[in-house]
Amino acid sequence: MHSDEGAIIRSCIEGNSEIYAILVDRYKEMIYNIAYRMVGDLEAANDIAQESFISAYSALKDFKGTAKFSSWLCSIALNKCRDHLKRLKPYVALDEIADTVPCSYGMNPEGELLRKQLADRIQEALNALPDEYREAIILKHMEGLDYKEMEALLNVRADTLKVRTHRARDMMKKLLGQWCAHD
Amino acid sequence: MTECTDIFHKALDGEASSEELRELLSVVNSDQHLKKEFDALTDTANMLEKCERVPVPASFTTNVMGRLPRNTAPGKTFWNFLFGQRVLRWNMATAFAVALFTVIVGSVIQIQNKQFAVTPASYTENANQVTFKLYAPNAKEVAVAGDFNKWSVNGSTMSRQTNGMWTVQVPLKPGTYNYMFVVDGKVWIPDPNADVYQDDGFGGKNSMVRVSNL
Repeated sequence: MHSDEGAIIRSCIEGNSEIYAILVDRYKEMIYNIAYRMVGDLEAANDIAQESFISAYSALKDFKGTAKFSSWLCSIALNKCRDHLKRLKPYVALDEIADTVPCSYGMNPEGELLRKQLADRIQEALNALPDEYREAIILKHMEGLDYKEMEALLNVRADTLKVRTHRARDMMKKLLGQWCAHD
Repeated sequence: MTECTDIFHKALDGEASSEELRELLSVVNSDQHLKKEFDALTDTANMLEKCERVPVPASFTTNVMGRLPRNTAPGKTFWNFLFGQRVLRWNMATAFAVALFTVIVGSVIQIQNKQFAVTPASYTENANQVTFKLYAPNAKEVAVAGDFNKWSVNGSTMSRQTNGMWTVQVPLKPGTYNYMFVVDGKVWIPDPNADVYQDDGFGGKNSMVRVSNL
């Protein structure tokens, strides 16, 4: 947690709402990306990320500071993602994800296009994972959290999160392996 | 195979011991199939870690700030209830009633103000002038925010001196106050010369000043 966050939060609680922009600027990239990776839709991710910041602001009085503000914010965002997914639940079957994209993207003139295609494929593969596996692998590999941080954030035991991450990695390997041929 | 896969994952999590890593190396070097499996898992993790971040829309912060619930500060809701603008349909009878009500309320407020008003004079009575100082030659503006001004960044703006020092005098009654400096409206820093620091309960530290009776 940044050393200034206690004072910023207290100032917000006192009614100086304009100062909350510092926290929004600081964490919008993380929250927006987590939301996008979880729901796979930019517009929905934008709504979820905005709603997360607004909900966090409304609940600042309840934030006790026992966890990092970023973790608390992240757990709010993940809850909103789960609610969103429950409402939609369009399951992407594993065999719907096909085509072939070589792994050596970015090393040739078509690199940009291939990188975009690969990013799309990764998102499709993430969409195909069960929600619990998806959030574990996003936090572990895309946000770079360790298992202890994930445990605090998700309120799930680190051992369980390891199993979920391992299974998610295996599933992602199979899904991406369909178009990412190994040399 | 399952045992190997477990070690693969441990290695990818950075949790494999050196002995397990040695075992892993010897296994993958002697078995092409396992090597492929391990390479595929490593590639998967790498692809996820290097996957491009999605850029946040430029208007994101503005949109969030525009949608925040307003006037959550204690007292502000009541103030708006009394003085917030409203569109009213009216007739003459309503106008007379409102006028009468206004006169009565006005009188009551006047009487209450005389009885309970807290004037600057009474606030500064028994107060000591406490000088806050911060050396910040590159700052464009500096303020001090603390218990005494409800942590407002605009409450106690400091003046720049010629030597890069910023100062402000704040009248404070005897007591103990937490505070921090706010540089350029964004950066919150504790006073490097504070007598005491106190854990702010959020993982940071506030500066603390004690104002005595003398």
